[in-house]
Amino acid sequence: MTTVLRTLLSSALAGLLGLDAVAAGQFLFSRPAFVGPLLGWLNGCPLEGARLGILLEMLYIDIIPVGGVVPPNGTAAAAVGVLAHSAAGLAPSLAFFIGAGAGAAYSPVESWLRTSRSAWNPLILGQVAAGDLNISRWVARALLMENAALAGYCACWVALAAALAAAPGVLALYPGTDFAYSLMPWLGLSGLYFRFRTQAHKK
Amino acid sequence: MNLMVMEKETKECAASSAGTVRLPQAPMFFRSFFIQAGWNYERFQNIGFVFALLPALRKIYPDPEQLKAAVLRHLSIFNTQPYMANFVLGNVARMEADAAALPGDSPQRRNLPGVKQALASSFASIGDRIFWGRLKPMTTQVCLLVWALGGFSGWLFTGMSGAAPVWLLLAGPLAGILAYSAVAVTLRWRGLGKGYACGGTANCGLDSMNWQRLIRGLSAAGFALSIALAVLSFGMLAGVNYGVCSGGALLAKLSVCLGVLVLHRVTRAFGRSSFFAAGVLLAVSVLLFSVLKLAPFNLYL
Repeated sequence: MTTVLRTLLSSALAGLLGLDAVAAGQFLFSRPAFVGPLLGWLNGCPLEGARLGILLEMLYIDIIPVGGVVPPNGTAAAAVGVLAHSAAGLAPSLAFFIGAGAGAAYSPVESWLRTSRSAWNPLILGQVAAGDLNISRWVARALLMENAALAGYCACWVALAAALAAAPGVLALYPGTDFAYSLMPWLGLSGLYFRFRTQAHKK
Repeated sequence: MNLMVMEKETKECAASSAGTVRLPQAPMFFRSFFIQAGWNYERFQNIGFVFALLPALRKIYPDPEQLKAAVLRHLSIFNTQPYMANFVLGNVARMEADAAALPGDSPQRRNLPGVKQALASSFASIGDRIFWGRLKPMTTQVCLLVWALGGFSGWLFTGMSGAAPVWLLLAGPLAGILAYSAVAVTLRWRGLGKGYACGGTANCGLDSMNWQRLIRGLSAAGFALSIALAVLSFGMLAGVNYGVCSGGALLAKLSVCLGVLVLHRVTRAFGRSSFFAAGVLLAVSVLLFSVLKLAPFNLYL
């Protein structure tokens, strides 16, 4: 029961932190490097949380959210990764890849949210034309929708991870996932190196 | 060329316009943090832009009908880099203030959408390169450096157990976030003031800093930090394994890590992201060690 409650609260916190990515602030509190150790600490595994978080962060360096690009969601990735380990009981290596998958799979959800907000434009225009200039309610509605979508999404993924942890034969995956996980820092370092190498050599 | 004509016209009119309204900088600044809240595919940041501009519009247009018309004007398409949006916000507020002081369909009002669009595009390009392209990856580097200074290298050795104080684990990312946010928040605040001060010109704020020099400086600093981290990481890998395994085994371990770098470079050359490379590594590893059940190969002892 405590685990379920803690998972739900952590998912809600992830939803709140996720707002920082696009909707509010953009202070980088939504980045996996911060979400990982924070949720890890709150769920009793700060070291694994920090590892998962920074490795996901390094994986995400490759993706730049310019224009209308909907990048994979780093908050969802870190939250699902940490909770898949701490609450669902998966090994950190498998939890990492499940987190990375969850982050990537969030893009269609985010796209759907953005598309659904397009339908607000005629409503807002109508409201303003009628003399009601309260735009705050639309901003608040957008924040609530984003928060609820991300929190619910994380909780669903953790439930899936728990089901996977209970599946027979999952232990057989660990030698493979452990080795792949041990290579992730090097993949991340490569991402960092080539991100700046290309820029430093630009005229 | 059009922009130059537009700017000349606008400057002339700005000079002739009556005294400008005092900018409600604090509420606009606070609201600008929500500029992307209503991001949508049809008009992008229009909802957030109007939300942030509203305090200024309310001061500029005491008449409800004029205010309504101004809000409707700004609910059109708008998109720029969120941290740089305040330069445009300040500029637009100033142009609205100047236009409100002039009667009828002034050049100020006619030029407003063009100047707004031109500035949004220019600042988006600058902001993307500074924040997304350079400062954000640098926060990761800052985090790793803080951890290294605190003696924590557990992120590199995933298979090793260990312990680290929670404060250090949180201090790493927080150091990056603080440094990044200090730049972002300062630019937001100053951009709003600067935009309002030079508002009405198509190059407003673009000449407020040597952006190119800043971008080059950040690129060089980021590259230097990347090299430092790579050297540190390979050094730690060699240090952990030195004396514990044979020279051949150590060479094999270093080669595997170098192989990952090569794989990443190759996948990038084919236009694929790190996610693709991670997927390849996962698939090959599961095949070798889980399906074919080869003896485990540990990078770290």
